[in-house]
Amino acid sequence: MRPRRPDAASERRLEELRREAESRGEVGAPGVRPSGSPLPEASAGSGYYGLPLLKPPVWTWEVPLYFFTGGAAGGAACIAFAARVTGAPERLVRDAQWVAAIGGAVSGPLLIADLGRPERFLNMLRVFKWQSPMSVGAWLLLSFGVAASAAVATRGAPRDLASGVAALAGLGMATYSGVLLGATALPVWSKHASILPPHFAASALGSAASILELLGHRGRALHKLALVAAASETVLHSLLQVSATTRLAGAFSGPIPLLLRALYGRSRRARTAAAASALLGSLLTRFAWVEAGRGSVASPPRPLRGDAARSGDAVR
Amino acid sequence: MTTGFFTDSTLCIGCKACEVACKEWNDIPADPFVFSGLSYDNTLGLGHSTWRHVKFIEQEATIGAGGNAAGRITWQFSSDVCKHCENAGCLEACPTGSIVRTEFGGVYVQPDICNGCGYCVVTCPFGVVDRRPDDGRAFKCTFCYDRQIAGEQPACAKACPTGSILFGDLDELEKIADRRIATLHGAGMTDATIYNPKETSVGGTHAFFLVRGDPWAYNLPPKPEVPTTLLRPAWTAAALAAGAMAVVSLLAFAGGGRR
Amino acid sequence: MPGLGTSFGRGGATTAQQDLANADAILIMGSSMAENHPVGFQWVLEAREKNGAKIIHVDPRFTRTSAMADFWLPLRAGSDIIFLGALIRYVIETGRWFRDYVVHYTNAPVIVRDDFQDTEDLGGVFSGAETWTYDGAARDPSLQHPRCVFQVLKRHFARYTPELVEQACGIPRERFLEVADVFTAASGREKTAAVCYAVGWTQHSTGVQVIRAAAILQLLLGNVGRPGGGILALRGHASIQGSTDIPTLYDILPGYLPMPSSSEESLAAYIARYRAEKGWWSNLDKYIVSLLKAYYGETAQATNDFGFSWLPRLTGDHSYFGYWLDMADGKLEGLLVMGQNPAVGSPNGKLERRALANLKWLVVRDMVEVETATFWLDSPEVKSGELTPEEIATEVFFFPAASYVEKEGAFTNTQRLLQWRERAVDPPGEARSELHFLVQLGRKLKAMATGRPRDAGLRALTWQYADEDAEEILREIHGRDIAGGIPVRHFGDLRADGTTSCGCWIYSGVFDGRNKANGRDPEGRYDHGWGYAWPLDRRILYNRASADPAGNPWSERKALIWWDESKGEWVGHDVPDFARGKRPDDRGDPARGGDAALPGDAPFIMHPDGLGWLFVPSGLKDGPLPAHYEPLESVMRNPVHPERQTNPAALKMERADNAYAASPDERFPHVLTTYRLTEHHTAGGMSRTLSHLAELQPELFAEISPELAAEIEVVNGGRVEISTARGSIEARALVTTRMPSLDIDGRRIHQVGLPYHWGYRGLVTGDVVNDLLAISEEPNVKIFESKGLTCAVKPVIPSATRPGS
Ligand SMILES: Nc1nc2c(c(=O)[nH]1)N[C@H]1C(S)=C(S)[C@@H](COP(=O)(O)OP(=O)(O)OC[C@H]3O[C@@H](n4cnc5c(=O)[nH]c(N)nc54)[C@H](O)[C@@H]3O)O[C@H]1N2
Ligand SMILES: Nc1nc2c(c(=O)[nH]1)N[C@H]1C(S)=C(S)[C@@H](COP(=O)(O)OP(=O)(O)OC[C@H]3O[C@@H](n4cnc5c(=O)[nH]c(N)nc54)[C@H](O)[C@@H]3O)O[C@H]1N2
Ligand code: SF4
Ligand code: SF4
Ligand code: SF4
Ligand code: SF4
Ligand code: SF4
Ligand SMILES: [Mo]
Repeated sequence: MRPRRPDAASERRLEELRREAESRGEVGAPGVRPSGSPLPEASAGSGYYGLPLLKPPVWTWEVPLYFFTGGAAGGAACIAFAARVTGAPERLVRDAQWVAAIGGAVSGPLLIADLGRPERFLNMLRVFKWQSPMSVGAWLLLSFGVAASAAVATRGAPRDLASGVAALAGLGMATYSGVLLGATALPVWSKHASILPPHFAASALGSAASILELLGHRGRALHKLALVAAASETVLHSLLQVSATTRLAGAFSGPIPLLLRALYGRSRRARTAAAASALLGSLLTRFAWVEAGRGSVASPPRPLRGDAARSGDAVR
Repeated sequence: MTTGFFTDSTLCIGCKACEVACKEWNDIPADPFVFSGLSYDNTLGLGHSTWRHVKFIEQEATIGAGGNAAGRITWQFSSDVCKHCENAGCLEACPTGSIVRTEFGGVYVQPDICNGCGYCVVTCPFGVVDRRPDDGRAFKCTFCYDRQIAGEQPACAKACPTGSILFGDLDELEKIADRRIATLHGAGMTDATIYNPKETSVGGTHAFFLVRGDPWAYNLPPKPEVPTTLLRPAWTAAALAAGAMAVVSLLAFAGGGRR
Repeated sequence: MPGLGTSFGRGGATTAQQDLANADAILIMGSSMAENHPVGFQWVLEAREKNGAKIIHVDPRFTRTSAMADFWLPLRAGSDIIFLGALIRYVIETGRWFRDYVVHYTNAPVIVRDDFQDTEDLGGVFSGAETWTYDGAARDPSLQHPRCVFQVLKRHFARYTPELVEQACGIPRERFLEVADVFTAASGREKTAAVCYAVGWTQHSTGVQVIRAAAILQLLLGNVGRPGGGILALRGHASIQGSTDIPTLYDILPGYLPMPSSSEESLAAYIARYRAEKGWWSNLDKYIVSLLKAYYGETAQATNDFGFSWLPRLTGDHSYFGYWLDMADGKLEGLLVMGQNPAVGSPNGKLERRALANLKWLVVRDMVEVETATFWLDSPEVKSGELTPEEIATEVFFFPAASYVEKEGAFTNTQRLLQWRERAVDPPGEARSELHFLVQLGRKLKAMATGRPRDAGLRALTWQYADEDAEEILREIHGRDIAGGIPVRHFGDLRADGTTSCGCWIYSGVFDGRNKANGRDPEGRYDHGWGYAWPLDRRILYNRASADPAGNPWSERKALIWWDESKGEWVGHDVPDFARGKRPDDRGDPARGGDAALPGDAPFIMHPDGLGWLFVPSGLKDGPLPAHYEPLESVMRNPVHPERQTNPAALKMERADNAYAASPDERFPHVLTTYRLTEHHTAGGMSRTLSHLAELQPELFAEISPELAAEIEVVNGGRVEISTARGSIEARALVTTRMPSLDIDGRRIHQVGLPYHWGYRGLVTGDVVNDLLAISEEPNVKIFESKGLTCAVKPVIPSATRPGS
C-alpha cells in the first residue's frame, strides 16, 4: 500500500471532490466529507440526518380497499334513496340497495382485519368522539351497515325508513374517509384536508353509478351521475398537489370516464368502459392516497439526495 | 399536579442511560441490530420499541473547540421522548378512548383498550407513537404512569447521571428553563433555545427541550400543528360534498330519469 | 499505580469524584470520562456550570467528553509526555508555579547527587538508577543551586516547547498556548485545577511516566491535597482499585507491602530492606507481621518468623504477560480464569487463544459463556482450521458465577471508597459467588495438604470460614487484637509482636465493630458516613497541603483542613491525612523515627521526607523524571531524543507470534488506537449478550477521518480491513471529522480508532480488535500498549464495484 502522505494525486482527488460538492450540492463518489461539502449531517437544512420525522401509516391493503367499498356502498345507498323518492324503477332501487348492503357488509370485516387487535373491534364503540374521524366513521359504518341491511331485509315503510337512514349514513360514509385522512399530521393528506372529502365523495358516487351500470342499468340518470362525478373528479384532481402515481390513478376516475362519456355517451361499450375505468380509478386512488401518505413522512425540507443515498446504503 | 420533563441537551453526555432505563423498566423488545453509520445513533428515532431516544447531532469538528464552546455545534446530544402535548393529536384521534390524559397531565395509551387501529400513528405531529407489528397495539412513552402513581420519578429521569432530564412540576420546570436560558445566553451561548411549541395549536408540550441551534436539526418540527385544527375545514368540505351528492342524485333522477 | 505512588506516597487517586465540583479547571486527558465514568462526570459538569470551570479534553478523537468540554485538542496517540512536558515548561517559564507550595511541600529544593546525568546529557537515557538520589540532606530553598531538583527539572523540560507540541503532537502552537494559559491560570492560592486520567495514559510503554508528568505539573501548580485539585485516576472495573489494594497482582501483598523475593530469607531481612526510618513506612513491620498472623493464625509465632518463609517468593517475571508467553510455550498446565475474558480483552488475542490450547485444563468462572471458555469451539483459529476441536487436549470447565447483585460484598471504587453491597436476588441455578467457590476450594486444598515441608503454609493457613459470609472476611481484613478477640480501632493499633492480626492494613478502620462500608448517612462537604475511604476515611489525600506551612488555609475559598490552635489539632471538612495533634511548627524528631521524625509542614506522610516528589529518587525502573519515548510501534522517529526511539526499560517480548512493525514502516502508515464505548463493557461478555445494549452499538467500527476515507476510497458505513504486524480484522468505517488527520512534522498523519468490545459470541459479534495488538510490558506495571501502534487500512470491497455509489 501507498504510504499515507498527501501527494499530488490525493490532493487532486480532494480538490475534485470539493468541486463536485460545490457544483452539484452532493458528492456521488464514495468516501469523504471534504470540508465544506454537504455531508450526512444533522442540520437545519436536512433535519436529523434526513431521517423522517413522522411515522408512516401502518395500514395495509384492507384500509384503502375499505375506503373504496365503503365509499361505493355509501354512494349506492344515496342513489337507492334518490331513485326511490323519484320513483325510479324498482329493480334499480333494489340493486342499489343490495350494492349498499353488500358494500357495507364487506367494509366492516375489512376494517376489522386491519386492526392490530381485531378481537377488540368493539372497543371502537366504547366511546363516541366527534373530534375523532375514526370514531365518527366507526359509528357511521355501524349505522350504515344496520340500515343498509335492514333496507334489503324489510318491506314497506320500514324499508323506506331504513333506506333513508342508510342514505344519510351513506353520505357520511362517502365523505368521512376524506376527513379521516385529511385531519392528520401527514403533510400530503393534511394539505388536502378540504379537497379530500369532495374528492372521495365524487369518486364514491362515480363508483356506485358505475357498478349499477355494469349490473345492466342503463338509464340516463346513472350516466349523468357518473358524468358529474367524473367531471368533479377531473376538477378536483387539478387542484391536488400530488405525485405522478396518484395523478395517474386519478386519470381513471376523472378525465378518462369524463371524455368517454362526454364524447361517446350514447355508446354502450363506451359507457361500460367508462364505468370500469371509474371503478378502477376509484380503487386505485384510494391505494394511491395511502401510499402517498407513506411517502410523505420524509417531511420537508428533504435531505440532499446524496445523503439519503449514503445513509440508505449504510442502513441497508 | 401537572408534571413534565425538561430535557436540557447542553447537559446531555449521550450516555443513553435514559434509553436503556426506559427499555428495562418497561420491558420493551429490542430494536433490530443495524449499524446506521449516522454518528453514534443506531436506534434512529422514537417508535413502538424506543420510547426514549438519544440523538447525536454531529457537525464538523474544529481543533481547539470543545462542544461547550459558544457559537460552534460539533456534537450535541439530545434525549427525545413523547412530547405529552397540551393538545395531543393522538389522544384526540383515538377512536377507542384508549389514549387518555392522566392526573399528571401525561398522555397515556391504555394497553388493555387499544385495538391497534393505527390512527394515532398518523395524527401525532411529532412522529412518536407507533404500532408494534408483532403485538398489534400502539405504544409510546407512558410518562411512567406506574411509577408516578407510586410517587417515583420516571425511570429515564432517574437514570440520567447529569440532570439533563429534569422531571417535576411543569410550571416549576418552565421557570428553571427560563433561568437556564438566561444563564446560557449570559455566557455567550446565544444559540440555545427552548423548544416548546406554545404558539402553535399544540399549545405547548409537557416534555420540552433546550437545544442549541436550529431545533429542526434535532427533528423538532418548526411549526407542529395538532390535526384537530383541520377538522372544521375538512368536515365543512365533507358536509358540502355530501349535500352536493344528495342534490345531484336527486336532480339526476328527478330530471327525467325514467328513460 | 507507581506513577502516583512514587510522586505522592500512595498509589491511589488523590481526590474524590465529588470534589471535582470544586475545581476551577479540569484537564481530562487519557480518559473519556463522560463515556466511561458517566456517573462521576456529573461533578465535572457541576464545576463547569457552578464555578464556570473550564473543561479541557486532550484526546486523539472528539469524544462525548470533548462534546462537554470547552476546549478539545486532538493529539497524536502516544505523544502525551510531550504535551505534559510542554505544560511543565510553560508553568516554569511563565512563573505560574506556586512558589510557597513548591518550596515547602515538594523536593524542589533538594540537591541531587552530582553524578546524576539526565537524558539531556546521555542522549535520551538516564545515568544508572543508583545515581537517582539526593546529595545527602543538602537543600537550597532559593531553588538556584544548579543541582537542586527544580533546576534539574527546568533543564530537563527545556526541550518540550510549544513548537515541539505542534510538530510531534499535531496540536497547533496557538491552541496549545491558549489551553496552557487557561489551565495554569486556574491554579494558585485562590484557585485549583484537577487532572483526570484513565487508561488512555496508562496503556503505553511509558504509561507510568505519563502520570508522573501529570504529578509534576500538579505539584508545581500547588494543586495536590487541596479541594478541587489533585489527580483523579479513573479506574476500570467496579472494584479494580480493591483488587490492587488487596492485590490480584504477583508482586505485592495486601496494603502495598512488597512481595518478598528469594533473596529475603528471613522476616528481619525483609523488614530491613523495606522498612523506612522516617515517614509512615516505618510501620511496615507491624503490617507484615499482622498480615502473617491473619494468614497463619496460631501457627505463626515469633519463633518461626510468623510463617514468613511460607509466603511465595518472586523468582522472576510472573506477571500476566509473562505467564501467557509461558503458556504459549507449553510451560503452564492449568489456568483459572475468574471474571476475565482474555480471548477478547487481552492483547494478541490469537497468541492467547492458541496458548489456551496448550493447557491441560482451564477453569472459567463467568456469568455468561464467554469466548475464553469456547476458544476450542468457535474461535477464529478453529474457523480457519488452525486449531481443530478434536486435537485440543485442554479440558475446559465452566462454572457459572453469581453476579454482583446476587452476592454481598464491598466494592472499592475509583476514589478508594469501600461501599457495601447487599444481595438483591439469589443467583440462578448453580451459579455461586467467588467467595463460596474459594472457600470450598481452600477447604479441598487444605484437605489434600501433606506433611511435607512445602505444604506447611497450606496446613497453617487459617480457613475456618463460613460457607459464605462476606462480613466475616471484612472483619479479618480490618484486623483484631488476638488476645481479646476484639477488633482493633484502626491500623494505628497494629503491633509487630504477633498480638494483632490484620488482612490489609490500609483498610483497617473499616470494621471497628460496625461495617462502615455499609454506612449510608452522608454528612458534610465530603459525605463522610457514606461508605468508607481508605485510609481512615480520608477523602482528599495529603490534605495537610491545603493549608500553608503555618497551618492556615492558603485562601478562604480553598480551605479544607487547618490548624486550630485552641483545640490543638487539625480540623476542617475532611479527616486530616496527618497526625491530628502534630503542630504545624513541629520540627520533627529524627531520633524518634517514623512519623514523628517528620516536621509539621510535611504533607506527604508516606514519603520518608514527607515531600511531594518532583524527582523520584526510588521506586521507578525507567527514570526519575518522565522523558518522551515513542510507542513501541510508531509512525515517526523520536523527535525529542532521536538517539533513543523507545522506552529503554520497556519489554517488547518480540517473537514470531508477537511481531512488530518498524518505526516507521511503509506497510503500516497510520496511527492506531483503541478504546471503549459507553454502550459496551470491555470484552463485551456483559454487554453484547444484552439486547438493550447490543442494539445501541451492534457492529464493530473504525473511526477514520474523511481524508483517510477519501484516500482509500471508502464510504461511511463501508467495510474496511485494518491490519498490523500481528494480524488483520474487518470493521465498518465510521467516517467522521471527530477523528482528525493531523499535521505532524510536515506530514499528514491519519489516526484510526477502534473500540474493542466485539468477539465471536453474543447477540452481536465482530472481529477481535486485540488480535491487532502486541503483548508488551511497560517496565513498572507491566501493562501493554493499547493506545498507540501502527496499522494499515483498506476497503474490503473496492469502491469501483460498490453498489449504490
Ligand atoms: N461504558 C464503559 N465504561 C467503562 C468501561 C467500559 O468498557 N465501558 N471500562 C472500564 C474500564 S475496565 C476502564 S480501565 C476504564 C477506562 O476508561 P478510559 O481510559 O476513559 O477508556 P478508553 O476509552 O479506553 O480510553 C480513553 C480515551 O483515551 C483516548 N486515547 C487513545 N490513545 C490516547 C493517547 O495516546 N493519548 C491520550 N491522551 N488519549 C488517548 C481514546 O480516544 C479514548 O477516548 O473505563 C471503565 N468504564
Ligand atoms: N485493545 C484494548 N484492549 C484492552 C483495553 C483497551 O483499552 N484496549 N483495556 C484493557 C482493560 S483496562 C481491561 S480492564 C481489560 C478488560 O478485559 P477483561 O477483564 O478480560 O474483560 P471483561 O469483559 O471485563 O471480563 C470480565 C468478565 O467477568 C465477568 N463477571 C462479571 N462479574 C463477575 C463476577 O462477579 N464473578 C465472575 N466470576 N465473573 C464476573 C463478566 O461476565 C465478564 O465476562 O481489557 C483490556 N484490554
Ligand atoms: S407527541 Fe405525539 S404521541 Fe406524544 S402526546 Fe403528542 S401527539 Fe401524542
Ligand atoms: S392504535 Fe390504539 S391507541 Fe392508537 S388510536 Fe388506535 S386504539 Fe387508540
Ligand atoms: S417516562 Fe418512563 S416510559 Fe417515558 S421515556 Fe421515561 S422511562 Fe420511558
Ligand atoms: S441519561 Fe441523561 S445524559 Fe445520558 S443520554 Fe439520557 S439525557 Fe443524556
Ligand atoms: S456502571 Fe457503575 S461504575 Fe460505571 S459509571 Fe455506571 S454507576 Fe458508575
Ligand atoms: Mo480496566
